[in-house]
Amino acid sequence: MNDPQLKEDDVEQEIWSWGAGTDGQLGTGRLEDNHLPQLVRTPSLSSVPAISFLSCGGAHVIALTAGGGVLTWGRGNSGQLGLGDMISSLHPKPVMRLGSYIITQVSAGWSHSGFVSDEGKLYTCGDGSFGQLGHGDYQLRCFPDEVLFFSDKHVDQIACGMRHSLALVKGCSGEQVYGFGAGKRGQLGISKKIQTVNLPILSSELEAAEIVGIAAGGDHSAALSTEGHLYTWGRGFKSNSDVYSPQHLPSPSSFSKVALGWNHALVLTDEGELYMLGGKHHGALSDSEMLNAMKFLPAGDFKEDNFQAIPALSGIKVLDIAAGAEHSVIVTEDGGVKTWGWGEHGQLGLGDTCDHTNPQTVNLNLKLESTAYDVKVYCGSGFTVAVATSNLRN
Amino acid sequence: MSYDDVEIEDMDWNEELQAFTYPCPCGDLFQITKEDLKLGEEIARCPSCSLYITVIYNMEDFLDDSNQKNNKGLEPSKQHPIVVA
Repeated sequence: MNDPQLKEDDVEQEIWSWGAGTDGQLGTGRLEDNHLPQLVRTPSLSSVPAISFLSCGGAHVIALTAGGGVLTWGRGNSGQLGLGDMISSLHPKPVMRLGSYIITQVSAGWSHSGFVSDEGKLYTCGDGSFGQLGHGDYQLRCFPDEVLFFSDKHVDQIACGMRHSLALVKGCSGEQVYGFGAGKRGQLGISKKIQTVNLPILSSELEAAEIVGIAAGGDHSAALSTEGHLYTWGRGFKSNSDVYSPQHLPSPSSFSKVALGWNHALVLTDEGELYMLGGKHHGALSDSEMLNAMKFLPAGDFKEDNFQAIPALSGIKVLDIAAGAEHSVIVTEDGGVKTWGWGEHGQLGLGDTCDHTNPQTVNLNLKLESTAYDVKVYCGSGFTVAVATSNLRN
Repeated sequence: MSYDDVEIEDMDWNEELQAFTYPCPCGDLFQITKEDLKLGEEIARCPSCSLYITVIYNMEDFLDDSNQKNNKGLEPSKQHPIVVA
């Protein structure tokens, strides 16, 4: 029962977690931080299909399994685990309420959760006090409930931030992005400052763009178009500059993925180049000496709304990116995992609690039999999960 | 250095903690009690890490709230665990 490999014929998989763990979000069965990657080996995991996708929130994790099933673990005090109670879970547990649906995409916010089915239905649970569940009220829900606003629409994706949600809807007339929840920082993209909305509102300025991906993190929102254009709105990456409607950030590059922290964003180009937006204090949050040194850099050294390359990654192809509230994680072409940013809870996985401004290599100690494996990374606010999967047929 | 400036209206009143709270990037909550606010304290701390935020509020709003239903909040009750597992 302690076999870390998932029992599926052709797939070998290891899940590693590290960082803040006092709500059980590392899935290790313990309520403590871990400064080094821990293998998530649980009896409940070994009997389920391989994990195909993860989303990590404030202190909880939603895992999508190969067959469209859903597992959750971590903090549950707002019902965000969808298990019918308000109790944290130290181990992955199946969300039985969604058992009769094939779930295709999930998102974990600070304390709420969203699930999209293959039929285009959206289900949400957890904290609803800002309207972020989209049910037309401000109630908390312990079981995922269908968002009836979308009952005659086809939801393709959900993205949950700190107190808001975005939904990407696909229709015959094109793609539409809806926002609901807290909107004070402009994160709903509805062109006006609004405290909260509890029913989805169309972000009409994105209607012309063919949106294929959405992201929400902290009070930030972002979308990618089919042409690889990046749009951002919400809290600015420059302090005190909120943007109420989606802005296209012009760049010669075409982007394939965006990951949002609370004060920074990572964007990945089609060619595997990584750029960062914002992150003025990235890697210097708990290191007062470093923070002071950065404070005295002349203005202009941080062109915060511009794309910044990471010098240490020059010439290195990046395959996957993830952003925690104040840390960054990437997978490089050789399958290596690198981290930088705030490290106080061990979320960088380097064995200590230091901050780093430059990417550092995490030693994962993979035990996979196959040498051909694929690593994906996911970040919660203060923790990190890496999933290594190999296909034994290769 | 303060992690962020947060208006009191953006903080949540947490019955269990008897404190105003705001999400901390570590996953825990920045917390400040009404007692603290009455004393003019403007720093809300996170019990799990070194970060803190500056709370923007009018002290007068908290000086005479003894008739409010939440006056239990006047008793300081810091460091409550937030995990309910």
